[in-house]
Amino acid sequence: MLAKLTGWLLLGIVRLLTGAQARWYGCPPKAEQRIYFANHQSHADLVMIWAALPEELRSITRPIAARDYWANTPFKRWITTEVFNAVYVERAATAPASAAPPAPRAEPEAPSAPARDRVAAPAERIEPSMEPLLPMDPPAPPMVDITPEAFDEVQRRLDLPAPPPPPPVAPPVEPPAAAAEAAPSEPAAAPAADPLAPLVEALRSGDSIIIFPEGTRGHTGEPQKFKSGLYTLATMFPDVVLVPAWIDNVQRVMPKGEIVPVPILCSVTFGAPIRVDEGEERRPFLDRARAAVIALRDV
Amino acid sequence: MNQFLRSLTPTEQVAALFLIVFGLLVVVSTTAFFLTFRERRNPVHDAAWQAELAHYRKLLGTTWFMAVVFWVGWALGETVATVLFALIAFFALREFITLSPTRRGDHRSLILAFFVVLPIQFWLVATARFDLFTVFIPVYVFLAIPVASALADDPSHFLERNAKLQWGIMVCVYGMSHVPALLLLSFPGYEGKSAFLVFFLVFVVQTSVLVQHVISRRTQRKPFAPNVSRSFNWTSWGIGIAVASLVGALFSFITPFKFGQALAVSVIACIAGSMGHLVMKALKRDRGIPNWGKKGVGVTGANGLLDRVDALCFAAPIFFHSIRWYFNA
Repeated sequence: MLAKLTGWLLLGIVRLLTGAQARWYGCPPKAEQRIYFANHQSHADLVMIWAALPEELRSITRPIAARDYWANTPFKRWITTEVFNAVYVERAATAPASAAPPAPRAEPEAPSAPARDRVAAPAERIEPSMEPLLPMDPPAPPMVDITPEAFDEVQRRLDLPAPPPPPPVAPPVEPPAAAAEAAPSEPAAAPAADPLAPLVEALRSGDSIIIFPEGTRGHTGEPQKFKSGLYTLATMFPDVVLVPAWIDNVQRVMPKGEIVPVPILCSVTFGAPIRVDEGEERRPFLDRARAAVIALRDV
Repeated sequence: MNQFLRSLTPTEQVAALFLIVFGLLVVVSTTAFFLTFRERRNPVHDAAWQAELAHYRKLLGTTWFMAVVFWVGWALGETVATVLFALIAFFALREFITLSPTRRGDHRSLILAFFVVLPIQFWLVATARFDLFTVFIPVYVFLAIPVASALADDPSHFLERNAKLQWGIMVCVYGMSHVPALLLLSFPGYEGKSAFLVFFLVFVVQTSVLVQHVISRRTQRKPFAPNVSRSFNWTSWGIGIAVASLVGALFSFITPFKFGQALAVSVIACIAGSMGHLVMKALKRDRGIPNWGKKGVGVTGANGLLDRVDALCFAAPIFFHSIRWYFNA
């Protein structure tokens, strides 16, 4: 009850300050399972997109909240869990997980079995228990020691040998991807938890999610490069619709370091859904997704 | 009829005005509702016609909303009416700031404008402190805003940014605050009827803008300042002023003015309003936007409130101060 009231109050404030207008271009607001991915400029992005969604979708859509910011006071924790129904992610931990996927591609001896089945499989086993998967582990250990700092270099280095996939020709190109998230999840999950695990959990229970694939907030107008979590989730849940979204102007409402928001109109533009093409690589897909988000700025 | 209206108390007269407005709205809305059942033979025309009707009905909905809001504002007294106009000023300023680029260093000045200047200005109106209310923004705020900006330590485009903010405050807050201020003017023998003055101003100014717009659409004359406005030319401007002023003069019976006086104040208000509209158009061209919000589709989500009220924002202060000076009200 209290959460509901707070939700209404918050919604009123957000509308008063920013208008929180949703512009649906390319797809209607629809109660299907979706992954909304948007640019990230401010912590308020979460609130913005939450407020822009229609009431009916808000209850089945769970935004992602960075634990270090949104859970550092009891009030914020209460509001994120009770009002926004958010999924917490560890920002620090996203890096290793994202770094991992490219690794298996280095040895493209991944299974060439029916891709879809294989994609679905990891979804089942990621969270509940890790034991049965251990046999599949071998490819993983090599990059367990990738540090977050080394992430970018690793990614760059591994991006270059993208050509190698030729060996397994056209159709079986996808399997590496399937293996990709199966593998990375293990090293990360073994000690604590896979950073993507909460999202996978939310998706498996049928909720839509809102993610910010840049990982951190940008300071410029241009979004940064997308992290690979989006690709991982997209290949894991091929039936979930991927909707790009552009959140406009939020950084002006509350720039970094300020606490009082200024009333400035903001809008959230939802674009046409995209999907991972048959055999599409990780980086091209992420760049395409990023372009889809940026394109919404000018519609 | 006239005798009957005159015999009513001021409150009853205002109520009668609202009754007439709501009656007209009911008639128009009912007609529009029945029109939706009509079908055109050509499906293409039908679709276009239905779309236009839908747009028209939406506009009608806005009119209903505004009429109800005004009625509630009047029914609940001057304070509520002032709060109402404060809200309009807030939304207009929000739209203005959205479409004027600001930098991080402006954040504190913006907070000052929205959460300090605006409430204080309208509080001054509500408490009828006319002397302070007249000078508060042009004197105190115009000095305070640049100070807040300077303290933010960001010199780039300093003058430009401050000018924009000051201009926004001037138009949206200062201008708009003069509309409820009309409610507090006191004319001998006109107590309790100030709501008519607000109605008079809004009605006359909107008529002039509307007539001017329609005439320039119809006649297709050469625009006088094509880079600023493709529709502005002196002929349609003159006709708009003349028509609206005449209408204003005919409505002199709801004001404390005589026929000639009503004509004169109407001319003043119309000139100020239509010129203000032109100035706001120039600002819009500078920002490279056709409207302050084009039917809610702009990426900023601005919905064009400023387009509706900009003429009023310019007309109100001039109207207010000229009648206050002339009639010593």
